[in-house]
This record gives sequence, structure tokens and C-alpha cells, in this order.
Amino acid sequence: MGGMHGFGPVEPEADEPVFHAPWEARTLGLMIATEARGLRAGSIRPAIEQIDPATYLASSYYERWARAVEALVVAGGSLTHAEVDERAASGGAEPVRSEATDPDLVAALPAFLDAPQERSGDPVPARFAVGDRVTVDRMAPTAHHRCPRYVRGVTGEVVRVPGGWPPPGEEGDPEATYTVRFAMRDLWGDDAEPGSLFIDLWERYLT
Amino acid sequence: MTDAGHHASEPSPIERRVAALESLLVERGLITSDVVDAVVETYERDVGPLNGARVVARAWTDPAYRARLLADGTRAIGELGFGGAEGEHLVALENTPTVHNLVVCTLCSCYPWPVLGLPPVWYKSFAYRARAVREPRAVMAEFGTVVPDDVDVRVWDSSAEVRYMVLPLRPPGTDDLGEDALVPLVTRDHMIGVVR
Repeated sequence: MGGMHGFGPVEPEADEPVFHAPWEARTLGLMIATEARGLRAGSIRPAIEQIDPATYLASSYYERWARAVEALVVAGGSLTHAEVDERAASGGAEPVRSEATDPDLVAALPAFLDAPQERSGDPVPARFAVGDRVTVDRMAPTAHHRCPRYVRGVTGEVVRVPGGWPPPGEEGDPEATYTVRFAMRDLWGDDAEPGSLFIDLWERYLT
Repeated sequence: MTDAGHHASEPSPIERRVAALESLLVERGLITSDVVDAVVETYERDVGPLNGARVVARAWTDPAYRARLLADGTRAIGELGFGGAEGEHLVALENTPTVHNLVVCTLCSCYPWPVLGLPPVWYKSFAYRARAVREPRAVMAEFGTVVPDDVDVRVWDSSAEVRYMVLPLRPPGTDDLGEDALVPLVTRDHMIGVVR
């Protein structure tokens, strides 16, 4: 989405609530709960990218999340889209509440959601070092990736090597990532605003 | 009062759909309502930009902490009891008289939840995601922020694994204030960078 025109001004909302409706809050809760219970096949971000572009642009943020969570739970085999269709047609806005509770999982949530931890990122072999000039490969991937169009083909400088993580969309071994600095002029042309753009990129995207 | 007991408007399709999903999972014994409740409460009650404001106020008043924050953000916020999902590799970006930092995620909405809570709608908007990387000064101006021409503007697209927060400049005239008095001066928008 970086660099696209036509979306108009950024419009902050005064005194914005954390959630704008109860269903948004339940969507976040379901995202975490289904992950904690191992009910989802796949991760959220690629599932959001599977939403067709017209629907994506017409949906709110939490609508996209809700679609992604449902798709991943369906992929996990717990229910079908048809079952959700049927219940959505006959049910109301209030979810059924369970009599059962899961105190062990509730007690385990803070360690996952909001407790101190060691910094992530594995020490892995890195082909480039701080100060190296790197060029982002030209590509048109169809699968999940984290290499935005607006940096492809552009040359920048490695300023930090944060560590390795599995490449996007893969469960595989960690691969080195690099924080790369680009001059705004190199990204957007001679009439660009002055300054720099920094972005973290996996080694596979760079030459 | 013929409308008594009715909603002002019919539930929207997405409202029904999310309720349907949760209901089916609950009825099949796959999840329990209390877990969903606990997640919601965490982000409504415990995790928000006040956490980040405490980190900033500490960094403004304790040079050794500031150095630790800039060296390893994850560990430094952990010293104050903060961490977790979307804060696993936190980098604090130091504003100086000659440098201003601005954070965006063009991919979706990557954001340092443990210190800032969940992102506001505008951060997730197409307008912000599209424009912050191309015309940061124009975007900041819409927040009333005019960065002097001689200040180096640095935009951070946090679309991979690192999450970024801005360590803003300590406001002038606050030398007499202690850490607790400084906390209310730090806003979410300072720590995203749309306000300097």
C-alpha cells in the first residue's frame, strides 16, 4: 500500500476508544483464543491477503481480521463456512456464552500477551554487514511476502542487522534480516520530500 | 415506547458473523468465553500508551536507563514490567534536535502493543499506510506538526519482525519535573512520531 495515491487525508479520532463495538473486541479475543487452542491452520497475515482486493478495500480492519480468523479455523477443520453462514443468518449479535471455564489458559495468557521477555531474533549467518549497499530484487510474488513494491529495484544501505526469523509464510529455519535505509529521493524521485525511509528486509529479497 | 427491548438498529452482517463463529466454537467445547473475555480485558484495561509514557519518562530522567532502552528496547521495557505479543523485538528511536522519527506499517498495522496498546484506526487506515512513507511531512502537518526544514525526517516501515517506538524530545521547561509528573506529557502520537 506504500505510496498509493487517492486515499485522502489521515483522519484522527478524538478520544478514540480501544474498540468501537463489542464484536471488534470479540474478534481480537477469538484471534488469540483460537491460536492458544491450536484451532487455526496458518497465520493471520497471509489469510488477510487472501481476501479479494475489492472486498479488502471495502472492509474495516476488524472485518478483515474476522474473515481471516474464520478462514483459518475452517482450514483447521473445526467448522465450515456453511455452518457459520447458517448460524449468522439465524443468530443475533450476542455470542453464546460457555458455562465451562478454562482457568489454566486464562492464567497462562499474561505470559504470552503482556509479560517481559528476552528479545526475539536468532543469531544467524548474514551475507551483508552494516554499511553494505544492497539492492532490493525485482519480483512479483503471489504467496505471502514482506517486501513492499515501493522498495523493489531500489538501492539502500544496511544500518542494522536485527537477527534472523523464519521467512514470511514459511515455518523454516530463521534467515537474516536487515534494516535498510533508503533515500526518499531514490524511492520517489527528484521532487520527493527530503529524508530517509528505513525498512527491515529478509536476505532473500536483497542482492 | 414500542421500541423497548429492541436494538436501535439491526445487527450488521459482520456482527452476526463474529457472534456465529464464537457461538459455534463455544458450543463445540473448543474455546471458553472466559478466555476471550480475558484477552479483551487485557487490552481494554492493562496494555495501552500509558505503558510507553512510563518508559519515556524513565528515559528522560535516568540516563543509564535511556542508554539501555536504546541498546535493547525489549529488555528495557521488561525492566518496567512490559513485554509480550508484538513487542518481542522492540527498537526505540531517539528523536534529537536534528532528527525526527515517524513509524508506520504499510503492510497492515504492525505496532508495539506492549508499550502503545492496540493501534488507533487512523494508523491502520489506507491513507496513513499509503502516505507516511511518501510524504511524511505532509502527513505530520495534518496532525499540526511542522518539523523544521533542517531536521532529518526518518520514516520506519515496521512491516517485518521489529517493532518501533519513538523516544520523543523532552519538552523544554520541564527540568524541574520528576518522572511521575512527566508521564502525562507523553502521548501515543509522540511515540508514533506524528507529533514531535
